[in-house]
Amino acid sequence: MVPVARRMLFTDRRRALLGVAGVAIALVMALTLDGIFAGTTRQVSRYIDTSPADVFVSQEGVRTIHMAISVVPAAAADEISTLPGVDWAEPILFSSDALRVPGGRRPSYVIGYQPGGRGGPQILTEGRSPGSGEIVVDDSAATALGIVLGDEVEVLGRTWLVSGLTSGMTSIVNTSVYVTFDDLAAALGSQGAASYILIGTEGDPDTVADRIEAAIPGVESQTRPRFSAEERSVVREMSTDLLSIMSFAALLVGLAVIGLVLYATVLSRLRDIGVMKALGLGRSGVTRLVLIQGLWTVTIAFVLAVAATFGIGAVVAAIAPDIDVVVETASLLRAGAGSVLVAAIGVIIPLIKVWRVDPATVFRSPS
Amino acid sequence: MFGRVPAARRMTTADPKRLAVSLLGVGAAIGLVLLLQGLWNGQLVQITAYEDHVGADLFVAQPDTESLLGDTSRVPLSALEPIRALPMVRAADPAHLHATITELHGGKEFVFIAGYAPTGLGGPWELRDGRTARAGGEAVVDSILAEEHGLTIGDSFDIKGREFEVVGLSENSRSWMAAFIFVTDDSARLLTGSGETASFILVQTDQPAEAAAAIEEITGLSAVDPAFLAENDRQVLAGIMENPVLLMIGIAFAAATLVVALTVYSGVVERLREYGIVKAMGAGRLRILRLILGQTVLLAVVGSGIGYLMYLGGVWLVGRLRPQFWFSLEWRHLLVITAASAVMALVAAVMPVRRLGRLDPASVYRGW
Repeated sequence: MVPVARRMLFTDRRRALLGVAGVAIALVMALTLDGIFAGTTRQVSRYIDTSPADVFVSQEGVRTIHMAISVVPAAAADEISTLPGVDWAEPILFSSDALRVPGGRRPSYVIGYQPGGRGGPQILTEGRSPGSGEIVVDDSAATALGIVLGDEVEVLGRTWLVSGLTSGMTSIVNTSVYVTFDDLAAALGSQGAASYILIGTEGDPDTVADRIEAAIPGVESQTRPRFSAEERSVVREMSTDLLSIMSFAALLVGLAVIGLVLYATVLSRLRDIGVMKALGLGRSGVTRLVLIQGLWTVTIAFVLAVAATFGIGAVVAAIAPDIDVVVETASLLRAGAGSVLVAAIGVIIPLIKVWRVDPATVFRSPS
Repeated sequence: MFGRVPAARRMTTADPKRLAVSLLGVGAAIGLVLLLQGLWNGQLVQITAYEDHVGADLFVAQPDTESLLGDTSRVPLSALEPIRALPMVRAADPAHLHATITELHGGKEFVFIAGYAPTGLGGPWELRDGRTARAGGEAVVDSILAEEHGLTIGDSFDIKGREFEVVGLSENSRSWMAAFIFVTDDSARLLTGSGETASFILVQTDQPAEAAAAIEEITGLSAVDPAFLAENDRQVLAGIMENPVLLMIGIAFAAATLVVALTVYSGVVERLREYGIVKAMGAGRLRILRLILGQTVLLAVVGSGIGYLMYLGGVWLVGRLRPQFWFSLEWRHLLVITAASAVMALVAAVMPVRRLGRLDPASVYRGW
């Protein structure tokens, strides 16, 4: 069997290349914008996602960290640690403010944790954990604000000495800074209270979460995935909707461009296709021919576009570390399925003319 | 002979289907960039809704307050009377601003509570329906927020365990990620537990500079120009979201110019045979170049027009589906995008001309 569709497609390489390039450019745009949106959304729950805690306990009715005020008795950590299935329990304090230096400011989570405990920064790229009067700052915010180790910064109306830098804790919404639990309690005027209690479990986190809610009145207990999903949901509604609209608009326009490119490609091959019909190829054969050509074009373009998107992601990571480009499987499926669909529509519409054409006309000179 | 014939236009319009596809491709690419740029500009305009519309000439704030979004300001209500007593001050009223998450119909909603003196400054600047809040427990709700949650005048809802009745619906009262709910200053103080303080004292005066100096001298507080606060709020928003948004716009812009270039290049390559005929009829290289550039400019200009129409369509669609997002497009953005597309189109159009220059005119009468 002769692969007529593929041979016809690649006989005129320039024309085939133009079709592939058009589809690939549209796909790169759609995939990259979706990747920026996905990366941004993931960043906002990074404190939760990178925490060693399996369960987070908050004040009843409080299901997020962002824009929330949660107060639970710090002593509840001791009570929780005695429950079956609980490996460890540590309180943290939380507040929102801005990280200020003379050169600028950045909205920030302020997290107070027990020295040596699990609520602090998971990695230190430079320096050491905070002691009294000291603070750990994210390296991305530090770079943006020109902060280096040993600098003084202002948070919550007092001055702190930067003792260390962590990484990956600056998102589209804000950055995060870490101080000791006692320092933050003093700055907030809080006594005997915590904002959240982090729990490490030995068994099923869901069971432990239920057990905590049953044993301790007035608290909300959520597993890490659930707490993370709630956090992303509230931030998405408040902040990242803008990016989701941009990403969706890019997908729609990208698909429209793909459809137009494929339409134009078939339009320029109508004469060749007419010849095939005159040689005896039926309506279904002609349709199959252009569909296969469209599929070839989209497949090659898709592979190139995915590779280019990963390349753009790597370049962005190198020059703007606070922006993540995350290519998710769902995004690939969406763009792939969408492009195949619009490509099919794009190649079939011009065929209507071919279906009706008298085969003999193709042997006359072009007008 | 060619000078009297509008060859560029005729050749361009000879194949209406191909022309339509090219124009739609160019238009869609340009329309997307305009839509993204307009959406981002809209957020920068929207974020300063309070400062822009509340009607104050000065915001009296806690010292070192530079923005509404990035700073927390508390001023004592005791400063109100000395400020009102200043001869250049026409009006001075307390304003309470508090961002909070409230539950409406089981869903979380981030809102700005704006407390104001019922007969003073700080209330809703544009009422669509109903009246302003005059007593505790009454609220004017942003009309889009109200629509999203099915709230109408006379309905009740809950903020932090306190019940409020909707007495009015306000227009243009969203600021980026949150809608305003206007309540009386007494209600706001109960909600925020702010005691004998307010977030700001809003001042109306015909002599802002003199009034600011006098207020700072007698109260020790900062008297800030609303334009200064607005500019800093824009910077706070830009600091948070600018990088990913501008990266998105940049990538869309790059893709759009490539699509334009590809469309023009394809069009010229597809017509090489026609240009060959024109060459065989005696047209020089310059004449053919002018022909191609004429077609390209036509495509770029009409395509940009279609892109602008697509932008307007996108604005209308987003306005119907997500009315909380505003758009604002400056002419310079349209000009920059059109100019960049035109340059890319011209570059793409000129590339195949070299091939045409090598073409033997006689070959066009043979098959290619």
